[in-house]
Amino acid sequence: MKLKRLTELALLTAVALIIFIIELRFPNIIPVQGVKLGLANIVTVYCVFQYTPSETAMLVVCRVILGAMFSGNWPALIYSASGAFLCLMGMLLLKKFLSLDYMWLDSIIGAMLHNLGQVLAQMAVMQSTAVISYLPVLMVSGTIAGLFTGLSAQLLLKRLKNSSIIK
Amino acid sequence: MNDEKKPNEKAIRILISLIAVIFIISVILTVISYQKPTGQRVFVIQDNQVIYELYPESEKDREIRIDFPDGGYNIIQIQNHEIRISEADCPDLTCVKTGVLRSETLPIVCLPHRLIIRYAEEGETA
Repeated sequence: MKLKRLTELALLTAVALIIFIIELRFPNIIPVQGVKLGLANIVTVYCVFQYTPSETAMLVVCRVILGAMFSGNWPALIYSASGAFLCLMGMLLLKKFLSLDYMWLDSIIGAMLHNLGQVLAQMAVMQSTAVISYLPVLMVSGTIAGLFTGLSAQLLLKRLKNSSIIK
Repeated sequence: MNDEKKPNEKAIRILISLIAVIFIISVILTVISYQKPTGQRVFVIQDNQVIYELYPESEKDREIRIDFPDGGYNIIQIQNHEIRISEADCPDLTCVKTGVLRSETLPIVCLPHRLIIRYAEEGETA
């Protein structure tokens, strides 16, 4: 991998982490495990459309592990990791069929899969199906949050491309 | 080479309608799940074991401390026949923020301490 590429990815990881930490400071208006805007995913969606799948995977792995470290919420690592994994798989797969005008669609699917992955991991860890009743709430919040982050990433990428800051 | 990058109109339409259907179903299910509970018994479950069986209607105001085997605790508070987690030392405190248990289907969950407080189904035994 070229050094320039690596530096760009490191920078993006740092940006994602900063957004993640700032978002942790926001009071959570809906006290359900997993309901959040997920602003750091703007970077993920951006990467999915701008970098190769393996590069995006590297960024997400770093972001998830460092995020758990910085937030001090280690027990949540397994949930965010499984969510991020499903989300990434779905987004990378779907991206093949979508143009830059439909980044928001990819992002919504990603957010839904992210929440689905989290609930599945919770069910596995808790050995209980009780948490599945939170899935509808998470699907609603995931759709809205995914649309928001997807549109943000789409706007960002298109403007950067138009201004030829990036290729 | 650029063929697969072209927007596939039909696939996109299917995808959008799929998302819309999931969204609408989820909204309906969410509204249903926030209805008032009709059950009488509440289970406190840790590590898939029922450790307390509570009857909110007849419970006196009290607090129950639950210690998690791997360290950490939650304090369940029963006040005016309502159950909530008033205190815990988990990092996210989602269980405390969830507030009072007021839904039949939505449990109070403390993920780090693998604790669930939920209404028991009819005929369900501990």
